[in-house]
Amino acid sequence: MSIAAPQGAPAAAPVPPEPGPLPVNYLNNGHSIWSWLFTVDHKRIGILYLVSISIFFVAGGIAAGIVRLNLLQSDGAIVSEDAYNRAFTAHGVMMLFFFLIPAVPAVFGNFFIPMMIGTKDLAFPKLNLASWYVFMLGAALAIWSVLVGGIDTGWTLYPPYSTRASQSNVIPGVLGVFISGFSSIMTGLNIMVTIHKMRAPGMTWSRLPLFVWSLYATSLIQLLATPVVAITLVLLMVERAWGVGIFDPSLGGDPLLFQHMFWFYSHPAVYIMILPGMGVISEVLTCFSRKNIFGYHAVAWSSMGIAVVGFLLWAHHMFVAGISFYAALLFSLLSMLVAVPSAIKVFNWTATLYRGSISFQAPMLFSIGFVVLFIIGGLTGLYLATLGTDIHLHDTYFVVAHFHFVMVGGMVMGYFAGLHYWWPKMTGRMYSDFWSRFAACVIVVGFFFTFIPQFVIGYHGMPRRYPNYPQEFQFFNVMSTAGAGVLGVGYLMPAVYLTLSLINGKRATANPWSATGLEWVSQSPPPIFNFDESKMPVVVCGPYEYSLGVDQMGRTLPDAPTGAPAELHEGTAADGHGPTSPAKQES
Amino acid sequence: MNTMGIPPFIPELASEHALRFEYLFWYITITSGVVGLALYAALLYFCVVYRRGVNPGPTPRILGSLRLELAWTVIPAFVFLSYFAIGVYVFNKAAHPPEDSMEVFIIGKQWMWKAQYPGGQRVIIGGNPRNMTEAERNSIGKLVIPAGRPVKFTMISEDVIHSFGIPAFRQKMDVLPGRYTTMWQHPTKTGEYHLYCDQFCGTWHSLMVGKVKVVNGAEFDSWLMGHQPFQGSDNAVDGSLAHEGRQLFLKLQCINCHSATPTGKAPVLEGLWGTRVPLKGGGGEWADDQYIIESIRKPRGKVVDGWEGVMPAYDESQVTNEELNALVAYIRSLKKGQTPDNTQRFPAPNGAPTDRTQSPPPPKKGN
Repeated sequence: MSIAAPQGAPAAAPVPPEPGPLPVNYLNNGHSIWSWLFTVDHKRIGILYLVSISIFFVAGGIAAGIVRLNLLQSDGAIVSEDAYNRAFTAHGVMMLFFFLIPAVPAVFGNFFIPMMIGTKDLAFPKLNLASWYVFMLGAALAIWSVLVGGIDTGWTLYPPYSTRASQSNVIPGVLGVFISGFSSIMTGLNIMVTIHKMRAPGMTWSRLPLFVWSLYATSLIQLLATPVVAITLVLLMVERAWGVGIFDPSLGGDPLLFQHMFWFYSHPAVYIMILPGMGVISEVLTCFSRKNIFGYHAVAWSSMGIAVVGFLLWAHHMFVAGISFYAALLFSLLSMLVAVPSAIKVFNWTATLYRGSISFQAPMLFSIGFVVLFIIGGLTGLYLATLGTDIHLHDTYFVVAHFHFVMVGGMVMGYFAGLHYWWPKMTGRMYSDFWSRFAACVIVVGFFFTFIPQFVIGYHGMPRRYPNYPQEFQFFNVMSTAGAGVLGVGYLMPAVYLTLSLINGKRATANPWSATGLEWVSQSPPPIFNFDESKMPVVVCGPYEYSLGVDQMGRTLPDAPTGAPAELHEGTAADGHGPTSPAKQES
Repeated sequence: MNTMGIPPFIPELASEHALRFEYLFWYITITSGVVGLALYAALLYFCVVYRRGVNPGPTPRILGSLRLELAWTVIPAFVFLSYFAIGVYVFNKAAHPPEDSMEVFIIGKQWMWKAQYPGGQRVIIGGNPRNMTEAERNSIGKLVIPAGRPVKFTMISEDVIHSFGIPAFRQKMDVLPGRYTTMWQHPTKTGEYHLYCDQFCGTWHSLMVGKVKVVNGAEFDSWLMGHQPFQGSDNAVDGSLAHEGRQLFLKLQCINCHSATPTGKAPVLEGLWGTRVPLKGGGGEWADDQYIIESIRKPRGKVVDGWEGVMPAYDESQVTNEELNALVAYIRSLKKGQTPDNTQRFPAPNGAPTDRTQSPPPPKKGN
């Protein structure tokens, strides 16, 4: 099954003692700063996004650290109430608008959508570069607003507090979010057009990898929902700057109008965040269990179902906000509907493992972690969609724990699964197998300790955004902070071993995981135009033919790694195709 | 509660709605917990049994199963609909107060709650203790409501959005500026419970908290009269009959002689009501309403042993019968150590607006 096992197997091509200089690829083609800043290569832009959002992830993480440390004591351990309010707002704004929303679509979507559908670039390369500049402009404004004093409204920005009472830098921060929204629209448009118009010959809709399907659904939401939040934020700024009464009832406005418009975007936006993660999971689970995805069409259409139904349930954030009784009924019913496609996905992922040949490298561990945490995140969402329970749990730590289970347990795990899965392709280097597996376990354990206690204190009624709380909640807050410490260490580890892999990591073969997607056809790192221009890929089958042992071009897959560290790195040839399929060797 | 404690497994249940919430909560927890644990068991089983070391391949080419897809689409959908249906039942009860509810008005402002009762009684709840004087801190009140009777809260905000939430009742409702929202409860258990602001409202959001005190019906009625200060401060609740009597007690200068010191010109009235008073010339009298009325109208009739009958009589031209009732209620409510200081002649009523500088001024308006 691998290089180590069968002695009698025909010898592979001799392993070169030291790899020679890499062939021309997108990374070594130009090293100047301008070759990065003016690039229109979707892969380089993906890397630009990767670097940027990593910085914002760290910034948001520091804010989270301040929040958690301050909650060690029931009257605030380290900072004043004002500073605490600014810290949780900075955490929310950074993580949501500048990490979670761009994370998978702008990094892996940019990098891998063209490769997975077998084309040279996105449909609009210059628009793609522009999206990064717009994103950075928005991020710079948001960061500036934090540096000159911060915002204290919470990321939800509810007026009339945000327009009338808050003494903080609401306008620059909101302007930053507004501007970065355009980047989201550009990326969504680009990915959508690319998927429609630029698929390789033979890449029919039902042969698309599920990651592509999920990004298609994501792009649909980005394209349709983001303009709504854009105009909402403009109205907010207009009211705050000039006192035009839109949301403030003392000026003749309606505060619920803001909440409707805000959640009309921000609820679908949680699907912008989670759907790409689900796409990554479908790729990784199939690859590491060597199985076809169970129920391809069910998984693909459930993404689209989530995207469409996701537009119809925004007001379940407003059950206790003063909406009408019958509106609450309707939105509760629709919220139950969206739970169904999410459940379908989880059942299909689990069934995919059935009779597989499962190995547990880091991408797989992160993906299993995703499923484990997403099950809890999804099921606890039902309490909040149910009217009778939401009227107590709303705005408590139960909600905080629920969305962290989905957004961090789900999306960030999915992001790390993707990062570890595609890192060899993006950088041409393998990272430490041991440390990456260890980090995955540390993150899951730290996560449980951080957020399970929050369900308990939420059920007991501890409200969100409280630097001061009754004594009886302290035990669970201390436990949560301890868990957050473990989680923080877990997140630091990939930063270390991934960086080290760039310096001394083993060279990655073209297809180190023996995966079927087109992105694994070309060398690692990929050449400038992704594929050898003389032989652009032609697709002959669906995306997950692991049991047949062929990739989407019908070529035999290399041996799958067993997971033993030594075996991961020593590919036999630049194109990464081993001599035999797993099926043949097994006999 | 002073040490770092662990809350009980199930938080306190203090109302009919809270009980309905718990049934629904645990119904969801058990049904979805079974599904979640079954999924975990399947994941664990597959990961162990089909790990590559045991099952090196090849793997079967399983593409899916329409029957299974339908099963795990339709069955969860029905389970979720059962959550929805029971949730609507609970919500419907919570959303529609009974006709005979007592209405309490709640006003939220940065960062306190004000409650007004139908008889004019008022309580201020919460507020930011760090910005307060000692006296103000001591007068922070509790929301007093009766057990066994439906209470409807009609709520509005003076500034930004707040949310009025009582975990022991398992309910909260946003409090908006410019329009009224309502919620109601049928408390079942006496005790003190947390009251939180659940919607972020600025710097001291986490200090916009207080207590709800549930007392039994008879106690509640006597509190409304001002006989017992359950709201937490020393005095009869603002706006009660006894509170009115207290104002009269100061205005009519009764305080000048009936001071807190036994060496004054007249007997101390603290804790008088309901005791037996020895009379000059032998015998005694129960200090009930009738005795107090007599002692005001004809003070020299039954003089307390050890004192001279120097108090002037107050006839109807000086103290009307209505005012007399208020004075009686006040004296009835007056407990040990509660006689006002002579300097507190005309204190601001408890419900009066407090320090305005707490709320930041609104930014400049357009016109």
